Parts: sequence; C-alpha cells; structure tokens
Amino acid sequence: MPQPVISVRGLGKSFQRAGKTVVAIRNFDLTVEEGEFIAIVGPSGCGKSTFLHMLGGFESVSEGELLLDGKPVLAPGPDRGMVFQEFALFPWRTVAENVTWGLEAQGKNKKECRAIADQLLAMIGLAQFRDHYPAELSGGMKQRVAIARTLAYDPRILLMDEPFGSLDAQNRELMQEELQAIWNDTRKTVIFITHDIEEAIYLADRVIVFTARPGRTKAELRIDLPRPRAIDVKKLNTFLEYRNRAWDLLRDEVLAARKEFA
Amino acid sequence: MARLVNWGLGLLLPAALIVLWQYEGWRNALPRYLPMPSVIADQWLEMLYSGELFVHAGRSLFRALTGFVIGSMFGLALGLAAAALRPIEDFCEPLISLTYPIPKIAALPIIFAWFGLGDESKVIIIAVSVFYPLYVATFAGAKVTTREHIWAARNMGAGRWRIVMHVLLPSALPQIFNGLRVGLALSFVVMFVAELVSSSQGLGYLITFAQDNERFDLMFVAIVTIGIFGFIADRLLLVVRRSFLAGYLPAAERQ
Amino acid sequence: MTVPQPIRHFLLRSYPIIVLLVLYEMMTRFGLVSQRLLPSLVLIARQLWRGLENGDLVHHTSVTLYRTGFGFSLALVGGVVIGFAMAQSRLAEKLIDPIFTFGYPIPKIALYPAIVLLLGLGSRSTIALVFLECIYPIAIHVHAGVRSVNRSLVWAARSMGASRARIFARVLVPASLPFLFTGLRIALPLALIVTIVTEIIGESEGLGYYITFSSASFEYARALAAFVVVGVVGFCLDRALIYAGGRIVFWQKSISIME
Repeated sequence: MPQPVISVRGLGKSFQRAGKTVVAIRNFDLTVEEGEFIAIVGPSGCGKSTFLHMLGGFESVSEGELLLDGKPVLAPGPDRGMVFQEFALFPWRTVAENVTWGLEAQGKNKKECRAIADQLLAMIGLAQFRDHYPAELSGGMKQRVAIARTLAYDPRILLMDEPFGSLDAQNRELMQEELQAIWNDTRKTVIFITHDIEEAIYLADRVIVFTARPGRTKAELRIDLPRPRAIDVKKLNTFLEYRNRAWDLLRDEVLAARKEFA
Repeated sequence: MARLVNWGLGLLLPAALIVLWQYEGWRNALPRYLPMPSVIADQWLEMLYSGELFVHAGRSLFRALTGFVIGSMFGLALGLAAAALRPIEDFCEPLISLTYPIPKIAALPIIFAWFGLGDESKVIIIAVSVFYPLYVATFAGAKVTTREHIWAARNMGAGRWRIVMHVLLPSALPQIFNGLRVGLALSFVVMFVAELVSSSQGLGYLITFAQDNERFDLMFVAIVTIGIFGFIADRLLLVVRRSFLAGYLPAAERQ
Repeated sequence: MTVPQPIRHFLLRSYPIIVLLVLYEMMTRFGLVSQRLLPSLVLIARQLWRGLENGDLVHHTSVTLYRTGFGFSLALVGGVVIGFAMAQSRLAEKLIDPIFTFGYPIPKIALYPAIVLLLGLGSRSTIALVFLECIYPIAIHVHAGVRSVNRSLVWAARSMGASRARIFARVLVPASLPFLFTGLRIALPLALIVTIVTEIIGESEGLGYYITFSSASFEYARALAAFVVVGVVGFCLDRALIYAGGRIVFWQKSISIME
C-alpha cells in the first residue's frame, strides 16, 4: 500500500489578532493519495485557505502534523504549485514572462522557457496576448495565465484557492471544463478550494465539507461519477443527489458561521 | 482644439506677469534692482554665446547630479535591504524617522568646516539630503509588495536574492520614481544653497558675485537658469519613468 | 518573567540610536578622530545647556520658530483657498494648475535673492519664501482631497435636501481633511528647512545663523548643539502635527506621509 502523498493528523492553527487568539483550524484530518482530486467546500472564513497556505508552506503548523511523503512541510517549493485567488501575477511582466517566471527561477534557459510558454499559451488560448501586460487582461484571462504559470514548471501537486472565484458564471463553466481536461491528461494531485458545491462535485474524486470556524472535516463525499466528465454530467440525477447531500451538510455550517459574525 | 485652449489658459497668468513686468520696465517704473525681462533675456543669451553660462551651469550641474546619483544609490540599496531583512529594518527605521524631519542642510556649515569649502563637501551634503527621500520611498514601496506576490515567488522556488531583485524592486518601482523626483528637485536646491554659502564657480556663486557687484541682471540670469534646469531635469525623469513603467501600471501614467 | 510589551517596543526602537551614540562617543574619546572636529557628547551637552541657560539658544530658536510658524500658517490659509478654488472651479483649475505642475521642479529657493531685494533681509523675506515653498504641497493636496470626495456622498447629501453651503461644510471639508493633513505633514518640514536655509545664507538671527556663526568660529560643539536643537524642534513639530491630525481627523487610522 503506497504511502499517501499528503497526510494530515490532528492539525490545528491559531493566529494572534489584535491581542486575541483566533483558532482557524482544529483537529483536522485528511489523507490524500497520489493523483487524487480533492475539493474542499465550506463557509467563508472557516479556515480552508489557511489549510492551503499551510500545505504550501507559507503558514506554520500550530498543532498536529502535516506530512508530505511522510515528512513535515517546512517551506514553500515548486513541488506544490499554488494558484492564488487573486492571481498574484506580476504586473511588471508580460503574459509570457509571467508564465515562465517559475522556470527562470529554476534556472531554465531562454529557449526552453519560450517553448514551454508557447505551448501553454496555446493551450489556454491566449497565444496572441503573450506580449500584453496583466493590467490589460480581463479577470478570466488573468486566471488562465495564473494557472498556466503554475503548470509551466510541472509541479507534482496543485493547490488551488478558489481559482474561479472572480470569474463570471459563463467563464466559470468553461474553466471547469478546461481544468478537467488538463487534469485528465496529467493526473496530478489537486487540492481545490471552492464555494461552489456543483463545481466541487464536478471536478473532484472526493469532496470534503469543512465546518465553520474552527474548521475541521464535517463530512467526506466520495464522488463516483465516471471519468472523463462532460459538463452535462451536472444534469444527471446522481449529480443532483450529491449536490443536495452536500448542501444539506454545508447549510448548517454556513448558518453557524453567520451567527458567529452576527 | 480644447487642448490649445487649455494650454493658452495655463500660460495666461505667467505671461500676464511677464508682460506687466516688461511694461513697467519700459516705463522706467521698475526699482533699480529689478531689470526688465528683455534685459535679462539679453544677458542670458550673451552668456550662452560666450560660453560663460556653460562654465557655471556645468559646475553646478556636476555637483548636483553627482550628489543625486550617490545619494539615490545608497537610499535605494538600503531601502531594499531594510524591506527584505528584518534586522536591518529594525536598526534603520528608528534612526531614519528620527532624523527625517531634521533639515540635513543645517549640517552644511559643519560639513564645510570639516571637509573644506570644495566640491566634496557640497556633493556630500547633497548626497545625504537625497538619500532620505530615496530610502523612504524605496522602503515604503518594497514593504507593500503584496504578500501573495512573495508567496508566489517562493512557491516557484525563488531564492532570497531573486525575490529582492525580481519582486520587491519592480514592485517598488513606482514609489521609487516618486522618490527620485523629490530627490532630484532636492539636489538642485541643496546645490544652490551650498553654492550661495561658498563657492568659486557655479550658478550660486554667480548670484553672490552679482550681489556684490550690483549686477542684478546676472543674478536673474542665474535664477532663470536654475529654474530651467530644475524643470528640464524633472521632465526628463518623467520620460524615463514612463518608459520604465510602460504598461505596468497605466494609472501611474499621470502623476 | 518576560519584559512587558511597551518597554520591549521602546527598547527595540531606541537601541540603534543608543548604539550609534555610544560608538560616536568612543570614537572621540579614543582619539580616533580629532577632538576638535568631533567634540565628545559631553561637550556638546554642556554647550547645549549653556546656550539654554544664557538665553542665546532660546532666542535664536524662538526666531526660527516664529518665522517657520508664521510662514507655514500663511501657506496653510493660501493653500487651502487655492486648493478649494481649483477643485470647485474649472476655470481656476486651468489657470492655476499649470503654474503648480510647471513650477514644482523649480527650486523656489532660487527666488530668495530676488525676494531679499524686494523685501530686504530679515524675517519678512524668510516668511515670504516659506509661504511660496509650502503653498505648493498644501494646495495640491487640498485640491486632490476635495476632488476625491466620492460623488455618491455629495449626491446622497443633496437627495437629503442639503444646501450647497451645508454640503460644503459638512461633506467636502471633512472628506478633504485627511488629504490636507498629508499636505501639512509634507509642508511643515519644508517650512523649517527653508527657514534654516535662509538663516544660513544670510541672516543675523535664528538657528541657521547660530550654526553658521559657531562653525565659522571653530566652536563645533556649539554648532552641533544647535544642530541637535534643530532636530528636536523638527521632531516635535512633526509629532505635534500628527497629534493634531489624529484628533481632528479622528476617523482615519493614521496619516501616512506617502499617499
């Protein structure tokens, strides 16, 4: 039995905010196998992003253990590619230069970079924008560039923090399909955070429902829909069943989260 | 068409002032020490042709720009270092914020006494003065680099040096240019003052000479020249800035 | 037992200064630098005390403060008036704004000799120069401040039946205050600098003059003592302004010098 890629046990994380201690995550457990697509849904502020940041190596562990291949996560690295909610593209570099930034950081030469950039830009359909600056792109286009940038250096694991959050409904669906296609080809391990239950079910092998703060697993749904999934899988009855179950689980947490902030 | 009107309106007040000035001079109603604009222009052109203007202006320019470059380099380097490394920030910040409101120019007489009245002292005081706005601007600009940008860079395997040079520095560039603008204007001011206090050549010297010899036309020539310098230098900087920040932040286009 | 936060904070902030002062003192004590050029801190302190005692320093400081304050106040009034005029009237903006954008990089100090010719040596020219120098940042910031007032705020006020005057006083003025204070924070050090500069160039009173005179007579300890006073004055003025700003513009967290 191969060792799980990611192993989380009793994970806890607290912050100091204005003199008070805020517990973002408590007692969180999760195991992820290589090549799995995991989606995490939960109410706002429940700690999902924090968990991703910890996986990425940007935030430290307060309690419990967070293991990658059996070893604790200590620092960020190109093996866990992160796609940020706010894109985090470098405004002073062109689209093409943004895509190859990670490659340059790892010392690849110009020619290799160019080739990879061309390939990725063609794949995301932005080849003619290669010399434009991020400021000139729409939200959807920026997001595609952000994803391309992360894919460029071929990380083993993809960490995606509500990557389609700033897109309008139409672009969202298109991006979901594209991501599906990419994942089908590459079969990377993906941890994907989203608010959108349907999105989660469509994309993932397993959907983790997070509780309100302090966050931990409320429930885990194994999605047994066949792959590859066409977008109209969303109309299937099985899909709707999953959706309803997930929403029932989530609804309580959303209400609980609301109360906390009320 | 609207553009032309705007231009015209903008020049209205200064032009009116100059016309009035000239008129009063023509009527011989000006005080002794206030030459007519035409007289000033004459003298200016004469000094230009004779090359004298170049001698003085060149000297002044040399001092100002040398001090500017030195001060900027130090300010930029230290600002970046402080933004990147906590210990440096902890050391520099209290010192800088304490000494920031002190007019560095108050040290001028002391510097002169220590290092003599030559060019070195002037360049030193200019550099020290320019250092401050550059440090403050670079530090502030680099410090507000978005967290996600730094995380993205680390995520992609960038080492510390790369993060400083390829993330902090570009991020801070708009702010750095603001600092450069302030520093450039400041270098002219400090140069001018230093020369007024003591020098043997240069635009400031020209003024003291003019005052001593009641050559008020010379005095105004110097004043006008330094005004022109300050203005041109600023415009040049804006051009440089535009090319550096092209497409980068379209909002930063108009200051 | 851990050191309490405020004390720890204070130590962290002040240790660089203390380190430098100690280094300085050691340099002069151990004769690494000529004692004449760099007097020991003790000597400086002594001159500082003496100057305060016999009233010299006090007199010159008050002259400097008077000029700085008066010029600054005039610039404040002028800057606010011009700034508002530019924001409220397109014509005024078109007439005046170019003067500001083009005049900005011209060292106003270059005009000082001309001003002296007109107004003679003494406080008047200094105040005039301070006025000219400081009016720029103040007017620019007030202009930006009034312009920045969210149109929806004004519309909201009008739909609630507010008159023009009321909108002016209750909406435009408060909304532009933070900008005004940023401008003031930039202008105040300028006022002090300009005053000191004019005193160095050719005055017979004031801290700038005191420093020049002392340096010329090789009394470096006195010059440095005056320099310290300048620093303290500048620092206190800045703090006073921050405090006043915090009270008057209470709804904003902090007034930053970089906008």
